[in-house]
Amino acid sequence: MFRFVEHTAELELELEADAPEGVLEEARRAFAELAGTGSGEIVECPIAIESPDLPALLAAWLDELVFLADTERLIAESAEISMDGPRLTGVVRGRRGEPRPVVKAVTLHRLSFQAENGVWRGRVVLDV
Amino acid sequence: MSNAELVRLDETTWEIPASSRADMRVPARIFADDEILAEIRDDRSLEQLQNVATLPGVVGAAIAMPDIHQGYGFPVGGVAATEMPDGVVSPGGVGYDINCGVRLLALPLTETELGTRREAVVHELARTIPAGAGRHGALHLRDASLDEVLREGPRALPGVGTDDVERTESHGRIEDADPAAVSERAHLRGRDQLGTMGSGNHFVELQVVDEVIDSQAAEIFGLARGQITVLIHSGSRGLGHQVCTDYVRLMDTRLADYRIHLPDRQLACAPASSPEGRRYLAAMAAAANFAWANRQAIADGVRRAIRVVLGDDAADGTSQVYDVAHNVAKVEVHDGGRVCVHRKGATRAFPAGSEEIPTAFRDVGQPVFIPGSMGTASYVLAGEQGAMDRSFGTTCHGAGRRLSRTAARKQVQGAELRRELESRGIVVRCLSTKGLAEEAPLAYKDVDRVVRVVERAGLARRVARLSPIGVVKG
Repeated sequence: MFRFVEHTAELELELEADAPEGVLEEARRAFAELAGTGSGEIVECPIAIESPDLPALLAAWLDELVFLADTERLIAESAEISMDGPRLTGVVRGRRGEPRPVVKAVTLHRLSFQAENGVWRGRVVLDV
Repeated sequence: MSNAELVRLDETTWEIPASSRADMRVPARIFADDEILAEIRDDRSLEQLQNVATLPGVVGAAIAMPDIHQGYGFPVGGVAATEMPDGVVSPGGVGYDINCGVRLLALPLTETELGTRREAVVHELARTIPAGAGRHGALHLRDASLDEVLREGPRALPGVGTDDVERTESHGRIEDADPAAVSERAHLRGRDQLGTMGSGNHFVELQVVDEVIDSQAAEIFGLARGQITVLIHSGSRGLGHQVCTDYVRLMDTRLADYRIHLPDRQLACAPASSPEGRRYLAAMAAAANFAWANRQAIADGVRRAIRVVLGDDAADGTSQVYDVAHNVAKVEVHDGGRVCVHRKGATRAFPAGSEEIPTAFRDVGQPVFIPGSMGTASYVLAGEQGAMDRSFGTTCHGAGRRLSRTAARKQVQGAELRRELESRGIVVRCLSTKGLAEEAPLAYKDVDRVVRVVERAGLARRVARLSPIGVVKG
C-alpha cells in the first residue's frame, strides 16, 4: 500500500508491505503513478545498489527510478529484486515514453524504512 | 503547526531564541507580518528553521524570509551563513535545483503596440521553449562543450551578447567550478537539457509593467509603465538535481567522521574546507553555471519567438534587465568576515554602491525579481542596505506556497482556472491542467504582502509591478 500525505511544497510518500521488498515495490508503483505509462517493447535494466542503511536504500532505489526516467525515458512497470540488508540487486522492466517529470529528486528528510509489529513501513519526501 | 516561542523584535521581525532548543547555536529570525506569520506557523517551517540554526559554524541567525514555507531540511525561503573556512556547507541548504532563478527581459514595445499579437507571441514561446519532460532541449552538447558550459556558464554558448553576461548575477559564472566534480550521471542528465524549462513552478511569462513605484530605478533598469517584459523561471534541471543528490548522499556517510550531529538527515553537510566540502562547492558552481547558461538558452529562444511574431526590431531591441539566482551558496564578505551564504529560495539583494553589481545599477541597487503566483503580479525590487545589515544581503524569492498541491487541486479545477485566467486576458499554454491547478493563486501567499514586508524591513524596495498577460507553464 502507498499513499501521498500532505506537504506544503513537496510530496511525502508513506509505504507499507509485509516484506521489505514489498515496500520497494510500493515505492515503484507510486513513482509510476506520478510518471505515467510508456509504450512499445519491454526494456530490461539490471540494477545493483549498496547503501549505508535501509532508509538510504529506499531513497537510492527511488533515485534509480528517477534517473532511468530522466535519461532513458523508462517508466518501470515491474521489478525483480532481492535484498541483502541495505544491498539490492535485480532487474527493472518497463517501457519507454515521455515520463511526466514530476519528481526532481529524492530527499533524506523524514526518511524511514523499518519493520513495526511485523509490518514493513517506509516514508520518503520527494522534491517536486 | 509550530509552537515555537517567538519574540517580536520590531514591526516585521520575530526571533526564536537560541535558548529555545539545546542544539541551536544561533537564534532563528523571521521577517513577516501578523498574517504571514500565522500562515508560517501552519506547517513545519519554523521547526526546520530551528534545525538550520544547529549547523556547525552557523553565524548570526538562521533567517526566514516572509515567503518561507516547509521544504526538506532547510525551509524554502531560508538563509544561513556559515563562517569560512571551517563552517559547514550543506547541499540541502542550496536545494536540488541548484541556481534555480529568474531572468527578466524588457521588450522595446508597449502593451498597446503589442495589440492583438499577444496570443501569437505566447503560442510561439510555447513552441520554441521545451517544457516538461527531461530531454529534447534546443542544444545537445557533447561532453567537451558541456564541460565548457559547466566552467564558463553562458559565455560558453555561441553568440551570447556581452550585455546579457554583464547583467547576470556573478556575470553568470561562479569561479572554481570543476566539471570533474560533477558525476557521470549528472553529465548524462544535463546533456540534452540546456534550453529547457522543466516542470513544477517553472514558467516563461509575458507581462506588462502596470505600475512604476521608483521611477529613477525603473529608468535605470530600462523599465517604463506599459512596457512588455518576459520573465523566465528555471534552473539547472536534472544536472543540478543529480549534483545535489550525489553530495547529500556522500556527506550523509561522512557525518560521523566530522562528529556532526544533525536533527534532520537532509541537512547532511561537511566543513567547507574538507575534501567533501570543497568538491561539493566546485560541483555546485558548475551546476550554477549550467543554470545560467540554461536561462541564457531560454532567453535566446524567447528572442527567436519574438523575431518570428514581432519582427527583427523587437527581437534585436529586447534587452536583459538582470538574472538572479535563488537557490545557491556563495562565499561573501559580511561584517568583515568570509562566510558561505546559503540561500534556499532566497535572493541576493545587494544595495547601491556594491561592487558586486553592474556599474549601471550602482546608484540604485541590485535588481531583484519576485514572481507572484500564476495570474498575479510579479515585482521588480532593488536591494537595500538593510539586507546587508540584517540578512546577509538577502531578500525573498516569491510569494511562497501556503497550500499543498493536493489541497490546491481540491479547491480548484485546472480547466476552470484556465478559463478564469483567460477571462482576465491572460493567455495560458501548459502541458497539464492538473499541474495548472497545483500552481493556482490560492495555493500561494499574497505576493503584495510579502514584498511589503521586505520593504518595511529595509531589505529591498519596490521599483515596479508586472502583470501577466500570457504564461507558458512547465
